[in-house]
Amino acid sequence: MNKKRGLVFIVSSLFFACQPQDQAQTKDEKAFATVPSGTAAPSAVNEQKDLPTFYKIGNSVAPEVIAGWDIDIRPDGMGLPPGSGSVEYGEELYEKKCSSCHGSFGEGEDQWPKLAGGDGTLTEARPTKTVGSYWPYASTLWDYIHRAMPFTAPQSLEDDEVYAITAYVLYLNEIVEDDFVLTKENFTSIKMPNQDGFYVDDRPDTSNTRCMKNCRDANTITEVLAPEYTIFVKTAALKTVALKEAEAKAKRIVVNQAVLATYNGACKVCHSTGIAGAPKFAVNKDWSSRMEQNKGTIYDNALNGLNDMPAKGGRSDLSDETVKAIVDYMLSSVNNK
Amino acid sequence: MVGFSQQQEKHLIKTLEKESEQLNIVERRGFLKNAMAMVGGSVAFAGAGGALAASSNLPPSVPIWGRQLGEEVLTHPYGKPSKYEKDVIRRTVDWLTPDKVSSISMTPLHKLKGIITPNGLAFERYHGGLPSINPDEHRLIIHGLVERPLIFNMDQLKRLPSVTEIKFLECPANGGMEWKAPQMEGLQFTHGMLSCCEWTGVRLSTLLAEVGVKPEGKWILAEGADGSGMSRSIPMEKALDDAIIVYAQNGEALREEQGYPIRLMNPGWEGNTSIKWLRRLEIGDKPWYHREETSKYTDLMPDGRSRKFSFEQECNSVITSPSPEVPFKGKGWYEIEGIAWSGKGKIKGVDISLDGGVSWRPAPLKGLIISKCLTRFSYMLNWQGEPLLLQSRAWDETGYVQPTFKQLRTIRGGNSIYHRNAIHTWKVYDDGHVRNAQLNNN
Repeated sequence: MNKKRGLVFIVSSLFFACQPQDQAQTKDEKAFATVPSGTAAPSAVNEQKDLPTFYKIGNSVAPEVIAGWDIDIRPDGMGLPPGSGSVEYGEELYEKKCSSCHGSFGEGEDQWPKLAGGDGTLTEARPTKTVGSYWPYASTLWDYIHRAMPFTAPQSLEDDEVYAITAYVLYLNEIVEDDFVLTKENFTSIKMPNQDGFYVDDRPDTSNTRCMKNCRDANTITEVLAPEYTIFVKTAALKTVALKEAEAKAKRIVVNQAVLATYNGACKVCHSTGIAGAPKFAVNKDWSSRMEQNKGTIYDNALNGLNDMPAKGGRSDLSDETVKAIVDYMLSSVNNK
Repeated sequence: MVGFSQQQEKHLIKTLEKESEQLNIVERRGFLKNAMAMVGGSVAFAGAGGALAASSNLPPSVPIWGRQLGEEVLTHPYGKPSKYEKDVIRRTVDWLTPDKVSSISMTPLHKLKGIITPNGLAFERYHGGLPSINPDEHRLIIHGLVERPLIFNMDQLKRLPSVTEIKFLECPANGGMEWKAPQMEGLQFTHGMLSCCEWTGVRLSTLLAEVGVKPEGKWILAEGADGSGMSRSIPMEKALDDAIIVYAQNGEALREEQGYPIRLMNPGWEGNTSIKWLRRLEIGDKPWYHREETSKYTDLMPDGRSRKFSFEQECNSVITSPSPEVPFKGKGWYEIEGIAWSGKGKIKGVDISLDGGVSWRPAPLKGLIISKCLTRFSYMLNWQGEPLLLQSRAWDETGYVQPTFKQLRTIRGGNSIYHRNAIHTWKVYDDGHVRNAQLNNN
């Protein structure tokens, strides 16, 4: 069969295949039309009656399986694992793992969260909301450090480390003394200064009405102008947010996708913003002094930590090879110029 | 032109003109300019003057796309918007957050029509970045005060009866930068932490029936699988009312940005309670007071105390056209269009004011009117170049009327950050351009 005849064959088959169906449909329509008025016409079933209370879908799950994910802590101490940590040990850990963003005294670097201070500022024009001045429960602190900190290595801390860092942040807020040791047993004795500063949402709190005419005096309308401290986002922000040069460059550098993903997840936060003195990706001047060292030294610094940078950027789970590959990737961002 | 005969030159110019026909007028001007520079730059294009003044794709000319064949099927196996829509994207404001991992981007509301936000444009909010989860390795565990602790894989969740509902989703910080004064020069930035999608999934009440909640179970901790382990305490009443465990969005699998493979959806409530990348639900007798319901997402009042569990997004509205991004272009008739929404139910109506709230007139609602969903309103205006102070004021089926800024500020001061649902003002100038404004007495 040549192509043309094949096509004709298919089309004609379709034509014949359709014929009887069309006729059948006409028959059905006729049947509907003859239903006597007053008789219930066949209608869609909107509710199925024979359903069970539940479907027995889902597998039973053993307590030890749940335990791996069950990380939450409550103000009454529910969920706290056995353990303890001192303010002293907490300070050591905090300096290594937290201070690069939160500052040595909890004052917060750049825009990163302040953890301490701000007592009595909640009624001021510019309140400072910190763990000490605002958070109602110490359990929130333990829970959050445990589940989400350090920012680049969530759920990497041992329970005793979480106790210690929690103790130290409480100490920074003058809630405990410098010789304090926080334990599962004494945890619920901690009372936070602002514990009673919260009440359940009581909105609606406004009662506007649908006034339609002469609702206000037109002559008294003036504009509220932006105070000096506000920052206007001018039309520049409306333009397409262009890929930053460094990011565009990163795209041009050939890199193993797994290495890139790990860089993005573990390193980028500091090395794209330069916080804690981190040399910035693709910024030559940040790397020039480092480039004078031999590569082995740069690897060692990344593996063991240097200044504010913790060993492996706080990701002790990473293999040495991965960390070295990331170093190579970062170096290539300045080598390629 | 060096090295070309006059005839070659003519032919070359003709070819370039022809090849550039598909470009728009601005691109074409650039293209021809570059091409001219490349071939020597000494000769003016013979017909270029005419070609540049008016597109040859407009009548009476037959456009180029009608004189040739287009691309074949599957050129784009997953379709995408026209290249002429490349500015319709999510955007962020750099100074809002210290980094872009725990941050937010906004929906380009000024470019959207109807009530559905396309999946690629729904605003993003991450507390620990955007995870990429293999659904085969994702599980949902439900445990705590239940008769039968259970673990579900994605296939099992999809065997349960599903529901499909259109609901808005809004970050409670939407417009939170504007408490003290107007700051954002654009609708995308004043109201863009807002989206509205068709969500499909299993009612949370259906899943709770599978595990059998014990009578003491009053709260549920919902927790994400992302690097922030994002968690919120949800009251049992909401869980049994209309909460959904969602796996599809606007007909396709939930987008990663929205919590792939599953998220919680609490209709009408502040967005962060609708935990994305949901991995665990624990039933308890009390709330957990986690970070995102104490340190954040609580509303600081002038007396120094704070509202907690302020879940509902109250009735709100905004005019999307005109707006700073969509100015009037010349006098004549325009459709003033906008969106209204309420976390408490259906929108009952919207009024608009042209004079800064002195007088108001009803703006008809149009299209679908669904509970806890964006609702469109529209008003035809014959604009003759007069300056306007344009406002919209919505009310919902509970009788709640969207408040003025003054009413909100009087009660809440300037530091409550969240839930700013005040009547919004666009100042329209005599040349048609539009600016974000706030007025002293409303």
